[in-house]
Amino acid sequence: MALEEEKKETSPGEATYRETENDLRQARSALLNILDDTEMARRIAVEEKNKTLAIIQNFSDAILVFDENNILELANPLAEEYLDEKKENLVGKRVDEFLALPKTKMLMQLLEVSEGSPIKQLFRKEFMASPNFYLEVTSVMLIIDSKLKGTLLVLHDITREKNIEKMKTEFVSISAHQLRTPLSAIKWTLRMVLDQDIGAITPEQKDILEKSYLSNERMINLVNDLLNVTRIEEGRFLSKPEPVQIEELIQSVVDNMQEEAKKRKISLSFTKAGRSLLPIVKLDKEKMKLTLDNLVTNALKYNNNGKNGRVEVFVKENSEKELQVEIKDNGLGIPEGQQSRIFTKFFRGENVVRMEVDGSGLGLYTAKNVVEAHGGKIWFESEEGKGTTFYLTLPIPQS
Amino acid sequence: MPHKILLVEDDRFLRELMSQKIVKMGEDLVVAVDGEEGVKKTKEEKPEIVLLDLMLPGIDGFGVLSQIKADPETAEIPVIILSNLGQKEDIDRALKLGAADFLVKAHFTPQEIIDKIEQYLK
Repeated sequence: MALEEEKKETSPGEATYRETENDLRQARSALLNILDDTEMARRIAVEEKNKTLAIIQNFSDAILVFDENNILELANPLAEEYLDEKKENLVGKRVDEFLALPKTKMLMQLLEVSEGSPIKQLFRKEFMASPNFYLEVTSVMLIIDSKLKGTLLVLHDITREKNIEKMKTEFVSISAHQLRTPLSAIKWTLRMVLDQDIGAITPEQKDILEKSYLSNERMINLVNDLLNVTRIEEGRFLSKPEPVQIEELIQSVVDNMQEEAKKRKISLSFTKAGRSLLPIVKLDKEKMKLTLDNLVTNALKYNNNGKNGRVEVFVKENSEKELQVEIKDNGLGIPEGQQSRIFTKFFRGENVVRMEVDGSGLGLYTAKNVVEAHGGKIWFESEEGKGTTFYLTLPIPQS
Repeated sequence: MPHKILLVEDDRFLRELMSQKIVKMGEDLVVAVDGEEGVKKTKEEKPEIVLLDLMLPGIDGFGVLSQIKADPETAEIPVIILSNLGQKEDIDRALKLGAADFLVKAHFTPQEIIDKIEQYLK
């Protein structure tokens, strides 16, 4: 329209007119080209947007997008399904309003939502949304050009995995119990023969039966380890934490091990930093004892065959917030290449496997789970041929 | 003077092994092969001590234990659990129901079990 008007107004001379007209034509076609390009770009953008939306709508996980003010912008159909709430009741609400909805309350608590605070960043956190319905929650900040543009919340259904895990755990647990009965029968029979309850046996017979008895004892211990592992995985491993004076617990573990240490000609000592009693910590006493037992046993077992063997247990107050226990040995050490796998289930160091020291590869796995279930940390420093120090921390309850 | 001991155990071989050991100690042995018989024999025979398995056909060991403890005639008889269960919940539950002791079969030799029994007979 503007072009037409211009055309009418300008006609001073034929030549100029032609020139102007030409210019204008060129300008018009250039403009049209630009408009065309813009239109194309717009169409592509709309198409992209629709495509993105379609991906979100049809995604196999629930997706919720919050804007920079924590107001829900977008929820896909699976989000409606998992949260069991219509989209109209969700979109447009600020995140803390979801605390009031009974169906989203637990999820919001997991995300540590409160008025005015950002949504907590989570990565694959498991969460029971309703009985026998498990979700894995991930929340990420959407940062574009180093500016916070919102939060993306992804809910992934892991019910099937959970059920399979449960079945597996039950299977192992039942098998372990069932295995114990014949193992008891073997133990009792061998013992009665060895005790000559059934009649006299020759020294040769005794010798070979003693070895069978020990093999059977190893099998019993293995089954016990399996039971412990399955129970950690069932998540009911920690039973009622009670107030514990840690030095007393460590002392009793160390006292129990003295005989074993003497047998192996290793000096085993326990020291505590400072004179006053350490703060009380809340522990599942039985499991923590098992853990310390495992660590001290390992330190004794994986020694350098006797020359100046030393195992030192040390405990101190690391800060007001935690206690730290150290179990230090000058034994075999863990080969560097295998250090990253040391806390994995059924893992055993190549150097100790070669030595045929028995073990199930479950002790440290159990230890890690127990310590972490208490809110503590476990790690180690080790050098092959020089020795290993295990460290563990336990939180001091804050009143 | 032999003491009368009741052994409640459904596994035949384990029952035979334990029986042999108990008889050898010169004690008077009564056996039961399931929970129902266990309750019945406790009432009829009035043993001085009951050795009780937990995983039993019919009424399980926990059921037997609570019936023994609920009956004033048998409530005072010490019951030692001899089972291959042995997780904390099982132990707590049995002790709460009034068991005198809890022995995991795979962790005790027959002699150690006899020694335990004798502690309660004295």
